[in-house]
Amino acid sequence: MADGDISDNEPTTRTLLRRVLDTEAPRTPRRRQSTRAGVQRTPLGTPFSMRLRSQTKTTAGRQPHRARSIGRLAHIQTRGQLKEQTPRTLLENILLTAPESSMVMPESAVKPVPAPQVVQVVQFSRRESSPGSLELQLPELNAPTTLAPGRLTSGRRKKRLRLSEFQQGMDQELPLSQGPVTEPPGNTGASSLSSSLNLTFATPLLPQSVQRPGLARRPPTRRAVDVGIFLQDLQDTSVATAFPDTVLEDTQPFSQPLIGRSPSVHHSLPYPSLSAERTVSRRTRSSGPGLQNNSPGKPAQLLAGKAEEVDALAMRFPNTSSGTSGVDGLEPLLGGVGEEVEERMEESMSLSEVKEATGAQASARAEEPEAHTEVAEAEGSWGAIEEKELEGSSGDKDTEGRTARPELASSTPEFPRARQLEFLEPAPPTSTAVGLFRQQVIPAPSLSSEPLEPLSARLPTRLQTAGPRLRQDPYKMGLSHYAKLFSFYAKMPMEKKALEMVEKCLDKYFQRLCDDLDVFAAHAGRKTVRLEDLELLMRRQGLVTDRVSLHVLVEQHLPLEYRQLLIPCAFSGNTVFPAQ
Amino acid sequence: MENDGKRSCLQPPHEVFWFLLQRLKAAVHYTVGCLCEEVASDKEVQLSRQTIAAISEVTFRQCESFAKDLEMFARHAKRSTINTEDVKLLARRSNSLLKYITEKSEEFNVERKTKKKKKLEDENKDSLEPAEAGGVGSEN
Repeated sequence: MADGDISDNEPTTRTLLRRVLDTEAPRTPRRRQSTRAGVQRTPLGTPFSMRLRSQTKTTAGRQPHRARSIGRLAHIQTRGQLKEQTPRTLLENILLTAPESSMVMPESAVKPVPAPQVVQVVQFSRRESSPGSLELQLPELNAPTTLAPGRLTSGRRKKRLRLSEFQQGMDQELPLSQGPVTEPPGNTGASSLSSSLNLTFATPLLPQSVQRPGLARRPPTRRAVDVGIFLQDLQDTSVATAFPDTVLEDTQPFSQPLIGRSPSVHHSLPYPSLSAERTVSRRTRSSGPGLQNNSPGKPAQLLAGKAEEVDALAMRFPNTSSGTSGVDGLEPLLGGVGEEVEERMEESMSLSEVKEATGAQASARAEEPEAHTEVAEAEGSWGAIEEKELEGSSGDKDTEGRTARPELASSTPEFPRARQLEFLEPAPPTSTAVGLFRQQVIPAPSLSSEPLEPLSARLPTRLQTAGPRLRQDPYKMGLSHYAKLFSFYAKMPMEKKALEMVEKCLDKYFQRLCDDLDVFAAHAGRKTVRLEDLELLMRRQGLVTDRVSLHVLVEQHLPLEYRQLLIPCAFSGNTVFPAQ
Repeated sequence: MENDGKRSCLQPPHEVFWFLLQRLKAAVHYTVGCLCEEVASDKEVQLSRQTIAAISEVTFRQCESFAKDLEMFARHAKRSTINTEDVKLLARRSNSLLKYITEKSEEFNVERKTKKKKKLEDENKDSLEPAEAGGVGSEN
């Protein structure tokens, strides 16, 4: 039935999905997601948030998700029954009630050629497939019809929608009756989806800033805004040293329960990227051909290297698990971003330790200068995990990366091992960064490891391009941040010289840590640092023993999301995630 | 727990293990004592017994740690035999020690190669021509 209709037109994503949905038996959300090109593996428990995020992402990134949602919708319609409150139904309801305002723009109506056809197809299939479930759709239809009333009505009326008529309908936006109830809800989504799809094809790089009246209705995604502003600030302002101070003063530096939080704390722009960068650089440590286009990249790398050291150090530090006190307040800015970054950082083994040991570490990391690096890092890490297309799609890479991060259960075998040193391009999510991410590993934390020295040697040259101000700043800022944390935990006033000493020690410690990782990787005949290297390092540190394994540490100290990424778990349908 | 088992009358394996351990410790202590005496006579300083005992205990524990690390390194490189590479990795902290070990290992390798060559030459003289060719080929 639907096939016949679909075959008339070139198969679009949506139609294909619908076809699959119609034929496929309903499965658990996870399973279905896996079949969806593995774009996202987040549990359907957060469909709404996902949807929001996806909407904020470029249309390209949005399409698969939307299509999927629509597919589910169609599927349910075909079933002709209202399932109990499952994530799918929730998503569908959301899609039904919330207008695909973002998708359907006034301009989209002007795009008649591809849209109508798709709409036609959609309408056909929908109508045929779900005659019985029309009534269900009715009540929810009212809301979304405003945007695309023409489409709704025309689809129902005629089997073959004439292009001219369709255009007329679109232009006039006749508030036709709700006759084509069945279609509209699905069609609205479908048409919007198709239109959005078409839109995407036409203007793949359309920035999100394009007028989207629909967006006005939706609550702005916090992450998107934050990231945008964040990026803007990054580019406009310099990495202000004042940031860390303000950050520390404003909030309780160590109230952070989790390290994960700390990275998101970066109220200071540079920090988030820095921490992310840190982890990234640490992992890959690759001088990264073309990794660092910006100077911040380099310092971020060093810092990333230090991140692990810091993590390890954090563990050494007051291991009193009071660490949760961490940087609670630091978060606000990039909650989502921080999460992503945090996750990234958490990937390193030491991170898990740090989390538990000292929230300060997290805050320290959050405080790490180099917002760019962090951003880049987040992007990188995120991109690595996420579909590459999503990243490249728009400047919202950061957002995507960050938001998607928690959702996307990257295929990294084990989270701690996933030292994905995605070398990221700091601040501007350039295509190079994207390319870098793509080069980076995703499933296995394989990072090109390079000795820190060459990197640092290269750092000055690179930084100069970005401006001397950034030179050494992120690195030193990170160290100073840690020193401040140290002084906080000392609970007594500390001399400046003592703090400097602490910084020096931290510096050496981190360098040594990274050197060890590098040597371990070389010892195994590899050029990339892997999880095994990190585990060996932790074993030497005494964190991982015969009694306490890596998995135990992960379970103890990492939040569920990270743990999910690290420790393979069996899901329904005999799928194991992350794949080994 | 294991210590208690060793001390008190426990299953024979534990006791035997503990006895062997003691013998090993005693051997180490004796060797350390000899070395310390040499050093004392060289530097013309006195070393008390407690010092020597402490040094031997530290040496013993350090050897344990080394052994564990070496095993970890070998396993990390997916080998079941501890190699000179593992030893070098272990000694990388101290530059002088690392240099020393590297030189020694090179000497050893050279020695081994010359030995092998001699062996092969002998074999070549004794064995037939084709065998010689094969041996030389493999050697090369």
